[in-house]
Amino acid sequence: MSTPELVTVTIDGRQVQVPKGMGLVEAAAAAGIEIPVFCYEPRLGPAVGACRMCLVEIEGMPKLQTGCSTPVADGMVVHTAQSSEQAARGQSATMEFLLLNHPLDCPVCDKGGECALQDLSFRYGQGKTRMTFHKRSLEKPVPISPTIALDRERCILCYRCTRFSQEVAEDEELTAVNRGALSMISTFENEPYRGPFSGNVTELCPVGALTSTQYRFKARPWEYEQAASVCGLCPVGCNVTVQSREGKVQRVLSRNHPEVDRGWLCDKGRFSYPHLYSEERIVTPRRRGARALEELDWEQALEELAGMVERASGGVVLALSGSETLELAYALAKIVRQGAGSDRVVLPEQTSDALDPFRVPIAALAEAEEIVVFEDCPVLDRAPLLELWLKQARRNGAQVTRIGPSGDIQRAHGEAALACRELAEKGNALGKRLRAAERVILLWSGGGSAGGTHLAALALTLGLNEKKGSGALLLPASPNARGVAEAWAAAGDEDRQPKQIGLLIVSGDEAASDPQVRQLAEHARATVALTLFAGDSGEWADLVLPATSYLEREGTMRNLEGRLQRLRGATGSPVRSELSWLVELAVRLGVALPGSEAALFAELSAQALDGISLSALGERAPLLPHGEARTFEIPEAEEPPILLGGPLELIRYRALFSGPEVEHVPELAFQRPATEIEISPEDADRRGIADGSDVVVRSNGTRVTLRARINAALLPGMVRAAATHTSELARGVEVSRP
Amino acid sequence: MAKTASPVLVLAGAEAGDLRALEDYRRAGGYASLEQARKLGSERVIAEIKESGIRGRGGAGFPMGQKASFIPAPEKTAKPIYLVVNADESEPGAFKDREIIERVPHRLIEGMQIAALAIQAEACFIYIRGEYLTGSEIFAAALAEAEAAGLVGIPITVHRGAGAYICGEETALLESLEGKRGQPRSKPPFPALVGLYDSPTLINNVETIATVPKIIELGGAAYAKIGVAGSTGTRLFSLSGNVVRGGNYELPHGTTFRELIEDCGGGISEGRKLKAIIPGGSSTPILGADQIDTPMDYASMEKAGSFIGSASVIVIDDRACMVQLALRLTQFYMNESCGKCTPCREGTRWLEMILRKIEEGRASRAELDLLLDVCDRILGNCLCPLGDSNAMIVASYVRHFRAEFEAHVEKGGCPVAATSSLTGVRSPVDELYRGRVGQEAAL
Amino acid sequence: MVELIDEIRAVADRYPERKSAVIPALRLAQEHYGYLTSEAFREVAAALGTTPAYCRGIASFYDMFELEPAGAHTIEICTNASCALVGAAQVLEAFERELGITAGETTPDGRVTLRSAECLGGCGRGTVVAIDHRYREPVRPEDVPAIVEELRRG
Ligand SMILES: Cc1cc2nc3c(=O)[nH]c(=O)nc-3n(C[C@H](O)[C@H](O)[C@H](O)COP(=O)(O)O)c2cc1C
Ligand code: SF4
Ligand code: FES
Repeated sequence: MSTPELVTVTIDGRQVQVPKGMGLVEAAAAAGIEIPVFCYEPRLGPAVGACRMCLVEIEGMPKLQTGCSTPVADGMVVHTAQSSEQAARGQSATMEFLLLNHPLDCPVCDKGGECALQDLSFRYGQGKTRMTFHKRSLEKPVPISPTIALDRERCILCYRCTRFSQEVAEDEELTAVNRGALSMISTFENEPYRGPFSGNVTELCPVGALTSTQYRFKARPWEYEQAASVCGLCPVGCNVTVQSREGKVQRVLSRNHPEVDRGWLCDKGRFSYPHLYSEERIVTPRRRGARALEELDWEQALEELAGMVERASGGVVLALSGSETLELAYALAKIVRQGAGSDRVVLPEQTSDALDPFRVPIAALAEAEEIVVFEDCPVLDRAPLLELWLKQARRNGAQVTRIGPSGDIQRAHGEAALACRELAEKGNALGKRLRAAERVILLWSGGGSAGGTHLAALALTLGLNEKKGSGALLLPASPNARGVAEAWAAAGDEDRQPKQIGLLIVSGDEAASDPQVRQLAEHARATVALTLFAGDSGEWADLVLPATSYLEREGTMRNLEGRLQRLRGATGSPVRSELSWLVELAVRLGVALPGSEAALFAELSAQALDGISLSALGERAPLLPHGEARTFEIPEAEEPPILLGGPLELIRYRALFSGPEVEHVPELAFQRPATEIEISPEDADRRGIADGSDVVVRSNGTRVTLRARINAALLPGMVRAAATHTSELARGVEVSRP
Repeated sequence: MAKTASPVLVLAGAEAGDLRALEDYRRAGGYASLEQARKLGSERVIAEIKESGIRGRGGAGFPMGQKASFIPAPEKTAKPIYLVVNADESEPGAFKDREIIERVPHRLIEGMQIAALAIQAEACFIYIRGEYLTGSEIFAAALAEAEAAGLVGIPITVHRGAGAYICGEETALLESLEGKRGQPRSKPPFPALVGLYDSPTLINNVETIATVPKIIELGGAAYAKIGVAGSTGTRLFSLSGNVVRGGNYELPHGTTFRELIEDCGGGISEGRKLKAIIPGGSSTPILGADQIDTPMDYASMEKAGSFIGSASVIVIDDRACMVQLALRLTQFYMNESCGKCTPCREGTRWLEMILRKIEEGRASRAELDLLLDVCDRILGNCLCPLGDSNAMIVASYVRHFRAEFEAHVEKGGCPVAATSSLTGVRSPVDELYRGRVGQEAAL
Repeated sequence: MVELIDEIRAVADRYPERKSAVIPALRLAQEHYGYLTSEAFREVAAALGTTPAYCRGIASFYDMFELEPAGAHTIEICTNASCALVGAAQVLEAFERELGITAGETTPDGRVTLRSAECLGGCGRGTVVAIDHRYREPVRPEDVPAIVEELRRG
């Protein structure tokens, strides 16, 4: 792209050169001058000019203009309220009108201290009211969902929230109703705002109208300790600020990384933190006693653990969750590989470096012309933020083609690799379009990827490595699958496979709930689990050690772009950090384990990450350069599995609002996956199933009752349901009326 | 100027009734201009319109030819071009577009086809206010007839509104037509470049478009000779209020109020005295009885301190209480404010509360000053002219009739309550707001 | 019988973008259900690929949509400037007397809803009264009993 033309504008007597077409608010900011705004928020689309706070005088124009919606022109002479009496009058008028009906409840308002209206009235307000009538009084606050409260009296009708709902999330669930002074923000009747990105409106609202119910009356913004961290719940790794007070997390806010999240968060990332304080969380070590699990102190627990490892030397197996940090995975890997002479691991999923040459920032989606999503598993459930980027891309004019069981191009579950091959073929129509386009991005959301090699092969055929702004990304099932694999590999290079499992070490709740791990546990002589909740492991582990959450951890993760990002945990945790006791364990086992996360990272980096330093990652981590594209052996596409149990293939996916972090937050219960099963109209018709009716799903003698939802986009022969409700079923099922 | 001598253009041929039937319209020379326009081609048609000097009849008075020439040529834009006709007519006092639709619908259709041809539009839309049910049926019937006769080369879609004055504002109209809440857009960009579905769009008033066939018939230059310089052509004046014969009268620009009210309207009803004139629809500042000889053209009206607006003349006799009138009209603006921008949404409501307090005799002198200051704080700060209009007219009522406002304050009530023609008048605001949002005055 | 959803889809086909059909679709739904019920919003939303919340946001912006049950007939009296000057207040009062209700209400038998209205566009022939959206102009207080009688019967 060519460098944009520069124009010169004069704002309050200061000359600045800015790119042509830039908005006045930004141009003024470049000149160090603030034009106050309420409704303006560039991430919500073009300026709407609603609040009239940004009025400025422009020489040659008789009327005041809105700074937010006026682009600069060469030679423009602008006076803000700081140098124009007319503009100052306009602004003070707007302030007066906004405050006419605004309640004086700042002392009990959660927004106090970070409220744009409070700040601007302090600076521009008159300090007294001329309003001699009763202020508007409305019921307050009303819940618009279990997580968000709306106080309509405080609302200044800037329409940021409704624009978010309409223009960004495109869920159209939060809208304005009525007209004029009766206008108000509302959901439909009393239905909750269910959109999975709803929480963003609490940050967008410039006043205390939309607030988080979890945060209500918890603290004042100036009392916080802040940590610049990243969310550890999915492979996007949205940048967040974790705010805590007296060692307790009070809320999680977005921390705009323009290449990753643009300042948006999904509701799982925003509202899950109360899991930390769930009564069911394990805070002390437990050992299987005669009848149940009994608590023991750390000294005893470490003693016991060291003994278990020593006794099982050469026969230890490590099962790692994809949610562990590189550091924790590396420390555990060292203990197992170097301390116990064992090299068997269960990794969360298959990974490879084949896609590295095709890395692009997630933000490149917004500029793409063509996007193809191989969507065996819904993108929203794997990497929610990408769904917002895909919407943005479509609004920007991109062609988004989804290939999968309910895609624009319908393909059976598990046929993504075949579809990939077809696109690579010369005559394929979509393939031709992709070759012709400048900026193409391929996404793979689902299993059977062979670590991304199928996708990499297609990307190479299409020459995406040579097209700027093009790339291919794999959406792993867990937040740091790739990093965990790298950490394991960096801790040793031997391959000693135990004949018998003397000890199974299960790290993380995700691994603990994996059926494969569970099977291993049955064969293991002993098991130890590091988990947040007793949940699954409580039933079979001999020793359960309390784990910390991603919100409490220091460390790094590699997200789906390959970006290494730092977790900087909030201070204070009811649980001892893993590293603090792993170091003691390492001493007992004679393993040299550095005593801090930073030192662990340095060692790991020297081994496996080209020696990159933590400081190079910074607060907003860059996407580091990558190697050249190369050809490689493309694995055979997997054969579609033979269905056992029934004629319909059950597609089971891990729903966004599932997993131990979500399940321990009561406010998120309304978002938990509906007890539904999607079925195609053909299959429903054949079985006489009506939309919304109860159906029995069965296989191999197991049966569950779910509600049928007819999905016209779904390929016949497939049914789809959240894993939460179908864990006991086989892949082949039959669905029938009860 | 005697009214018999003035040319009738927009309503030509319908003097005695209507030209709803295609056959009748044809007999009056209908659709000849369309044929003529096809021969002239896009550029020449725009040139004629420019030369005619016609200014928009919707209220703002922007020259139509100039607006049409802002529309990019089809080869310069990737988007389709649209023509939108504004038939939302909801301005208190205005009922001329309805007259055109109901009496000469084909002239409107013909005008749409010519204008669409001029800007090389792909499709036309007509946005008719929802309340004009009969009008929309008459138009739809005429359209069907014209379509059947092969006269509609560029398709026309009839879109009925659903009751919101603001949808007459052109960008709010576009939003409404796109299926959104009818809230005005921030300009620029102007609809000529980014209009309906973000495509280049020409928006004109019904009367403007219905004049186009006559411009083509007479030629732009000949048309420009009618009326006065800067205000060419005829105008459909909507006359209402306390006159003997209310109605629409087509007269050339430059005709005086006196000619309209006395010659056409038969004077003030019941032999009463003229008190004031609302000259161009409710949104234009009021004029005193002494201004009755002002010619109705753009320049003279501005000199008189008001606007020709939608040429809707409301005659007010000496019984009316001007505070009541200001209040009733303010209730209209408050009710019709779309709620998007702050000064209009909050300001019109505040004005209404203060005016009511004054009318009920509960206000202090300071509150009369506050009223004017609030007007001043609304004016010029709004997103669209709706809020500005309210502020402007209220200020004009106080300016012209200050003594009446002061008398309300001093006497603790309306001094003419017993005889005012407006006493007891209510508005939808009374039904919508009272009690619901706690409007009762305090203190 | 043509299904409401098909009618709505047919209207939507007339526009370049289907959301444009929201107003006509809501009008059809209102005719179908009498007023805009939850069900009506859901159906319109489904037919146009939007949400009931969106549709309600639109409906509540415009005056002509009924969000609550209204009478079988509606009487709307313009009380804006031109009509007010020629006696709209008296016409409205006459209707109130005759119907025994206040503007904004519906008769207990559910037959008639009475409302004041903003300018209806018949200013030269005030007072304008719209009965089921058909104009009567001018209406004077003395005409009111006959009109009410007509509605009671019809
Ligand atoms: C609040 C408001 C209401 C308006 N109502 C109408 C209307 O009902 N009909 C109309 O033609 N123009 C109306 N206008 C003017 C339009 O915005 C626009 O100027 C006009 O349709 C352009 O057509 P013209 O140039 O032919 O007049 C209104 C403007 C405002 C600010
Ligand atoms: S709730 Fe907040 S964000 Fe929404 S319109 Fe009101 S002030 Fe703006
Ligand atoms: S910030 Fe410009 S109008 Fe709101």
